[in-house]
Amino acid sequence: MADTVAARDGAASRTLSLVEKGPALPGRRSDEVVIGVSPAFGAFFSRTIVDIPHADVLRELLAGVEEQGVQARVIRLRSSADLAVIAHTAAKLSGSGIGIGILSRGTTMIHQKDLLRLSNLELFPQAPLMDLETFRRIGRNAARYAKGESPEPVPSRNDYMARPRWQAKAALLHIKETGFVQPDAGPVELDVLIRLADAG
Amino acid sequence: MSLVVGVDIGNSTTEACATLVGEHGEMTFLSGALGGTTGVKGTVENVSGVVEVVRRALAAAGRDPADLAAVLVNEATPVISGLAMETITETIITESTMIGHNPDTPGGAGLGVGTTVAFAGLPDCAAGSAVICVVGAGVDFEDAAAGINAATLRGVRVTGVVAHADDANLIANRLREPVPVVDEVTLVDRVPLGMRAAVEVAEQGRTIRTLSNVYGIATVFELDPEQTRLIAPVARALVGNRSAVVVRTPAGDIADRRIPAGTLTLIGEQTKRSVEMDAGAAEIMDTLRRVRPLVDAAGEPGTHVGGMLARVRDTMSELTEMPVDGVRIQDVLAVDTFVPQRITGGLAGEFALESAVALAAMVRTSKGPMELLAERLRAALGCEVLIGGVEADMALLGALTTPGTDRPLAILDLGGGSTDAAVSSGDGAHSVHLAGAGDLVTNLIDSELGLDNLELAEEIKKFPLAKAESFFHIRMEDGTARFFQEPLPADAFARVLVLTDAGMHPIPTRHGVEKIREVRRSAKHRVFVVNALRALEQVAPGGDIRHLGFVVVLGGSALDFEIPDMISEAVAAFGVVSGTGNVRGTEGPRNAVATGLVVSHAAARAVMERALHIPR
Repeated sequence: MADTVAARDGAASRTLSLVEKGPALPGRRSDEVVIGVSPAFGAFFSRTIVDIPHADVLRELLAGVEEQGVQARVIRLRSSADLAVIAHTAAKLSGSGIGIGILSRGTTMIHQKDLLRLSNLELFPQAPLMDLETFRRIGRNAARYAKGESPEPVPSRNDYMARPRWQAKAALLHIKETGFVQPDAGPVELDVLIRLADAG
Repeated sequence: MSLVVGVDIGNSTTEACATLVGEHGEMTFLSGALGGTTGVKGTVENVSGVVEVVRRALAAAGRDPADLAAVLVNEATPVISGLAMETITETIITESTMIGHNPDTPGGAGLGVGTTVAFAGLPDCAAGSAVICVVGAGVDFEDAAAGINAATLRGVRVTGVVAHADDANLIANRLREPVPVVDEVTLVDRVPLGMRAAVEVAEQGRTIRTLSNVYGIATVFELDPEQTRLIAPVARALVGNRSAVVVRTPAGDIADRRIPAGTLTLIGEQTKRSVEMDAGAAEIMDTLRRVRPLVDAAGEPGTHVGGMLARVRDTMSELTEMPVDGVRIQDVLAVDTFVPQRITGGLAGEFALESAVALAAMVRTSKGPMELLAERLRAALGCEVLIGGVEADMALLGALTTPGTDRPLAILDLGGGSTDAAVSSGDGAHSVHLAGAGDLVTNLIDSELGLDNLELAEEIKKFPLAKAESFFHIRMEDGTARFFQEPLPADAFARVLVLTDAGMHPIPTRHGVEKIREVRRSAKHRVFVVNALRALEQVAPGGDIRHLGFVVVLGGSALDFEIPDMISEAVAAFGVVSGTGNVRGTEGPRNAVATGLVVSHAAARAVMERALHIPR
C-alpha cells in the first residue's frame, strides 16, 4: 500500500523513457491501437500543462487499451505538432484504423483512418481539464472502437475559464513544441519503458 | 357538377379529399391532403387545421376556393387515450451476498473459492490458506498484481480477485498464476471480509456455469437442502452473466419482491370484477373479457394502480375540460413490460430488469361541440358545412374504394392513441374503439431500452436499424451490407443507427441491433397484434373472426414497415383476407374517412335526384 500512496503523491514517482527503434510501419493486426505522440512528448517536455507527468499519461492510455484486450503501439510524429495530423497519421498506421494523438500539453484526440483529417471520433480540446481518469477512458474507448463496439463517448469537459486562464501558457508550450518539428522526418516507432523512479 | 371537400378530423391528423360530384352522384376524385389536427379532436380549435387542409387540397386540385360548394365533416367524438406504467417487482440484496453485475472486461477465467481478505491484509494471511483478494479504491493495478504475486510466492492461495476500478485484465495479465478477476465493483468497501466467497469468470462469449446453478452454489459452499432453497434466487439472478461473485454471509439474502401494486376494478354493464395488478397483463385482459362491455374502471385508492388511473383521469379532464369524476374509462389495454432498475443493496450498481405493467386507458367524452365547430367553419370558409355520418360508417365506405375489396368488410384503424375496428353488416356498421396504439408502442420502446427520449423512441418505432461498421458501409438489420461513396458522419461510426427519412441518427445506448429490433418488434406485437385480434373479435358476427370476409388495415400506423405484416400473419390463421388499404387506389391507408364522407354525400344526392325524377 505504501508504494501506491507514493505513486500518487510523489512528484516524479515514475519515469518514462521512449527509445526510437526505427521508422513506424503500417500495422497488420486488426486488434491494435496506435498512439501518436507529439515531437517533444516525453522528451523535452515531461509534463502536461497542468503538471501531470507524461509517464502517467501514457501509462493510463496504455492501460485503458490493455484492459480491453487490445494491443497498443506508440509512435512519435516528428514532422508536425498539429494534433489532427498526429492523430490521423497514427490512425492510418494502425491495423484497426483507430489511432490516438496526444500533444505534450495534454490535448488528445481519437481518430479513424477513413475520416477527413480535420474530423475526428472524439476530441478533448481543453488540456487543463484532462486528468488520469480521462486518459484511461480515452484508451478504453479507442480500444473499443478497434473491436468494432459502440462505446459511449468519454464526457468531454468544458470550462469557459480554462481559455482565459491557460491560453497564454498553452500558446507558449505550443511555440516551444513547434520548435522541435523536423519537417522532413517521418514517424518513428517507440519502445516505451515506464519505471518507478525510486525502484530504479 | 359541384365541388365538395370531405374532411376527416382525427386525433393527430386532419385529412381532406376534394371531389367533383355530378348530379347523378357520379364522382371525380381530384386530390387529397394531410395536415396536423389543431387542438383536441371535435373542438372549435380544429378550425385553423381544417381550413389549412382544405386550402391545400384545393390548391393541389388547381381549383379556386370560391367554387367550393360544400365541406363535409365527420362527426368527431373525441376518443382519447392515456398511458401509465408501474413497476411491480423489485430485487433487493441484503448484506451483499452477491455481485451480479456484468463488467465489460472481467479478467482471467475459471472459478475461485476462498475467504475474502482486503488487499492491505494480504501480507498477514497464513501460507496455505485460500483467499479471495478484495482490492479497494485507489490501489494501482501494478501494486495490486505485485502484492498478490508476493502472497502467492509465500504460499497463500489467492484464488480470485474483486476490484474497484476497471482493472481486471490489467491485474490478471500481471499475475504469475491466472485467477478470475471481477472488476468495476463500485461499493467494494461494503464487501464483507472474512467470509467464504466464490468468484467466477467465464471465457469470452460464454456465461458462468457454477454460480448461476443453485446446486453449483450448494457444492461450493457445502449447503444443506434448506440453505440451498434460500440461495436459489441468487443463482437465478446470475443467469446469463459472464462474471459473478457470491459471498456467503450468515444473514445475507436476495429477495425478488413483488410490489403490492393494488387492485384494478373493472365495472362492466352486467358485472364488476377486481384483478390484482401484479397478476400481470394476461390476467387483467382476461378479466376485462369477462366484464365486457366496460363502463368504467377504478383503482384501489392509495396504491400504484389508483395513482395510474388518477393520472389518466386528470389528463383526460384537462384535455376535454370535463370534471374529473365525469371521465369514464371505456377500455383498458394492459401490457407486460420491463424496466431496467438499479438493484437495492447492490454493490456494483447492478441493474435488474424489473417487471412492470403498462396500462393504456381510453375515454370517450361527451359529443364535442360539433355544431359550433361547423358554424365557425362556415364563417372561415364561406361555404356550406355539412356534418356527415358516423365515423366508422364513413371509414368503411372509404375502405371499400380499395381495389379488390367487397362486403362483408371489416376495417382496422390503427392510430396513435386508439385502435378502432368496424364491420359493415346489413343494418349499418358496428364499431369499437380500443385503448392502446402507436403512442403506447413508443412508450414501451422508450422504457424498455432505457432511452428517456420519446422522439428517438418514435424514430426507432418507425424506421429500420443498421450498424455503421466502417465509414463506408453499414450492416442493415436483415444482415445485408450497404455501401456508400461518401464517408458517413463521424458521429455515426461504430454506432447502431436508425435510418430515418431525415438521415441516419445514432442511438446512444449500449444495446446492439438485435436487442433493439427485438424490443421494437415485441412492443408492436404486444400492442397492435393483441389489439387487432381483440378488436376484430368484438366486431365480428358472433364474435368469430372467421366470419369476416375482408379486413382492410387503415390509419397512420398502417404505414409502418412491419405492423401490417404482423397483423396479416396473425389473422391469416383465421382464413381472413387482410391487407393494408389503398383508398381510391391511390391514397394508401390514409384518407378513408374523408373519401367515405364524399361517397356518402354523392350517394345521398343520387337518391335525392331519383326521388325528384319520379314521374307523378
